[in-house]
Amino acid sequence: MFSRSALRSFASELRWTAPSTISSAPLQQRACLHQTASLMDSQQPQSQSSFTHPESPLSATPRAQDAKPKGIPPSNNFNEATMTPQTRADVPIAKQPVEPTFTSPLKVTKSMLSQLPHLAGQKPHYVVAQLHARPYLLTEGDHLRLPFLMPKVKAGDILRFNRASAVGSRDFTMKGTPTIDERIYECRVRVTGVDSEPLRIKEKTKRRQRHVKHATSKHRYTLMRVMDVRVKTPEELLAEGAVIVEDGEDASVIEPRS
Amino acid sequence: MPLRGIRTSTAARNGAGAFILQCKRLDFHYCNWAGSSKGMVTFLENFLPAFARENPQIEIRVSPRPQKHPLIKGLYINGREKPVCVRNLEPSEILKKANLLKEASGEKLKRTKKPVTSLNESVRGIWSPYHGDLRGV
Repeated sequence: MFSRSALRSFASELRWTAPSTISSAPLQQRACLHQTASLMDSQQPQSQSSFTHPESPLSATPRAQDAKPKGIPPSNNFNEATMTPQTRADVPIAKQPVEPTFTSPLKVTKSMLSQLPHLAGQKPHYVVAQLHARPYLLTEGDHLRLPFLMPKVKAGDILRFNRASAVGSRDFTMKGTPTIDERIYECRVRVTGVDSEPLRIKEKTKRRQRHVKHATSKHRYTLMRVMDVRVKTPEELLAEGAVIVEDGEDASVIEPRS
Repeated sequence: MPLRGIRTSTAARNGAGAFILQCKRLDFHYCNWAGSSKGMVTFLENFLPAFARENPQIEIRVSPRPQKHPLIKGLYINGREKPVCVRNLEPSEILKKANLLKEASGEKLKRTKKPVTSLNESVRGIWSPYHGDLRGV
């Protein structure tokens, strides 16, 4: 989310000028959030359409195949700072989430593809998500209180953690080198609010001086709830346009428990 | 026989499925006479209608409280309340305070060291010396 403003301006230009260059349908931003869990049925026609255009690499990796936004006009009386958006219609078009653009399709090694059903089929899953180079071990339904105040998010927003160093289940772990490709798994969190700590007072003293200075601090933290942690099955990956390659050195591997 | 409380079958995990804002009500108190309520009165006239329109899920009550400093009080789903005194504040600052109350979780402020709190069982289970193969040290 840190180079997002640049991405956003780029994407909004694309959106206005030629939305069909990135995706087959205009305004597919909704795809970034609402994902695939319950959508195996609705995937079929989309995946076929992606097979008809194999020459463009991005159409081979549609992020999600569900609900196209209906071209809802953004409401005019939206005030950024104060309002909690209830639906996507409340969010202005320039602020809507940007669909990630990938330059190449997902590459999966043969060995990983053979192991992946074991991992994907064994629930529940955990993910070690990296945020500012700190690991957070998350499972579904966890409460997460970030050690900082995340800028530009509001209560009710849904985020997708796309840097993970490991995804695993009880018996299998997929380790990244150093991170796993974000198209293999899905970890979504919902911002539930902002919390603060009790006022901290630190006494600052100097030698040979009776005066004591009190430094106060009261930090604020973003609260989140993990909505889902999921590993995609090989069928889903192939339907989304993954390419099978030979085993290499720097690919993610799935390790069984020893 | 000891008295037993009702056991809940599920724990509330707001946001995992549906998301409900924890702030359910905001009370705005002001005084018509006192100077410390000047900013609050301007806020009530100019900012509050828009704020209330944008947050239809929050009940908003405005009532005078003569001879007292102005106050915003937030009431939360968990039954707690959070009062903030807004004496001598500008309307824009009061709007910030109202937003703070809106986004707050309503819990008592605590210092926590661990970022993640989980109700789930450990995914990989607890290590046992009797299972798994032997490993050299």
